[in-house]
Amino acid sequence: MSMDFILAQTVVNGLMVGMIYVLMAIGFTMVFGIMRIVNFAHGEFYMIGAFLFAILYGSNGMPFAVSVLLAIGATALLGLLMERVVFRRFRGNELNGMIASVGVALILQNSALLLWGSSARTVPPVVSGVLSVGGIVFPWSRLVVIIGAIVAVVSLNLLIGHTRIGRAMRAVAQDSEIAQVQGIRVDVIFPAAFVLGVSLAAFAGVLMAPVLSVSPFIGLAPTLKAFVIVVIGGLGSVPGAVVGGLLIGLIESFAGTFVSASLSEILQFLVVIGVVLLRPQGLLGRKEREA
Amino acid sequence: MLEVRGISVAYGALSAVRNLSMTVADGAIVSLIGSNGAGKTTTMKAIIGLKAVSSGEIYLDGERVEGVPASQRVGRGIALSPEGRRVFPQMSVLDNLLVGAYSQRDAAQQRKTLDQIYGYFPRLVERRSQMAGSLSGGEQQMVAIGRALMARPRLLLLDEPSLGLAPIIVDEIARIIVEINRDIGMSIILVEQNAKLALNLCNEAFVLETGAVALSGKGKELLASDYVRRAYLGI
Repeated sequence: MSMDFILAQTVVNGLMVGMIYVLMAIGFTMVFGIMRIVNFAHGEFYMIGAFLFAILYGSNGMPFAVSVLLAIGATALLGLLMERVVFRRFRGNELNGMIASVGVALILQNSALLLWGSSARTVPPVVSGVLSVGGIVFPWSRLVVIIGAIVAVVSLNLLIGHTRIGRAMRAVAQDSEIAQVQGIRVDVIFPAAFVLGVSLAAFAGVLMAPVLSVSPFIGLAPTLKAFVIVVIGGLGSVPGAVVGGLLIGLIESFAGTFVSASLSEILQFLVVIGVVLLRPQGLLGRKEREA
Repeated sequence: MLEVRGISVAYGALSAVRNLSMTVADGAIVSLIGSNGAGKTTTMKAIIGLKAVSSGEIYLDGERVEGVPASQRVGRGIALSPEGRRVFPQMSVLDNLLVGAYSQRDAAQQRKTLDQIYGYFPRLVERRSQMAGSLSGGEQQMVAIGRALMARPRLLLLDEPSLGLAPIIVDEIARIIVEINRDIGMSIILVEQNAKLALNLCNEAFVLETGAVALSGKGKELLASDYVRRAYLGI
């Protein structure tokens, strides 16, 4: 194998994993920004999205688009239920909310274990073949993940930046009391933001299911990665999540390819420690104002 | 327009407003003056719904609203420009104004109101894509008032619009308050520590002390009253 080939593969892998992390981190940071809840169950929605897609598309052979929509829709409904039953009680209560989210994570993971068993499932690839550019080949199965994630991030950005509900979400995140006086119902915005975050996680799971295998345990790693990325990028910052996600994805891919997977973990956490020491608000985060 | 009948508001065991009554006639400017902690802001919060009343009633156009949640009072025609301005700091000026129009879904009407506000505050036109948090205090005050006006209220609550602003900006804000009241016939409740300004602008004023109305009357009369002059104007 030529160096070019390895390099190209490493970049594509890094971007793919990085974009998945971006999707995870954006949902994670949105839920924190709006509800002030650090949701350690975030990755379980990724796992459930991946599982539902594996069952619908892989095992039952349903059409691709239908499987995607059903997997995301069902996960979103589960998210809505969790918001109703658990998370809304912990709005703004950061410590207790975080502990509750660990509980939710365990419940979801073990329910998946009961329901679907512990063995890993594979999902048939959605696309096959390669894209050849100047003699370097890129597998479509991975490019599709990158493209899908970019489309999701861009759509989300349009939603948050340019729609009525997007403005309302930002207003609630910045000053929920004053947002109410503008006629914004926070009891609608909180679940909407939560469900949006969960849907992004489910979509990330759907995208990754055909590339990796699916089991009840795959949610933990993306949760931790989302947490790490949000610390690097700045809590509550969407651009920070994009930068942090791609950074972690590329570190993981390059260190994993050229040295070893354990070095990649070490490097990632060195970056985190460095950011926390030198720029505690994160690369693109803003300093918390003193209350 | 508005009638407040014997409201009391408490923060825990601490009573902030006691048995307060006031009325605001259609198209009137009413000022609330008083020292820190007299209950001015609490009264505003009770009217807009951010603070629940423990007793008493609030009537808007004859309808009781004290049980209506804050998010629905703006739809009834009340808007607040809060103390300390409280603009959404990481949103552009335009987005701040558009959030103010959240209860107004008619896009054409929104456009018209926006143009009107840019007419009152031409400075906001140049600043429209800038983050509100990066503006000067005076400009933020304009955003806060503009945001409240975007809801096309019939009753506008202005809480300390002159706080921390340079005298020249205070004059400009004062001129615009009068203009808005005259042009649109909007009723206004003005809370101010700057008693002279508040009494000059208003038709009627209420002096609050320790959560209750100590004195009320026409602004000009209160300006001439010995008590007010000594306690609030330092003359």
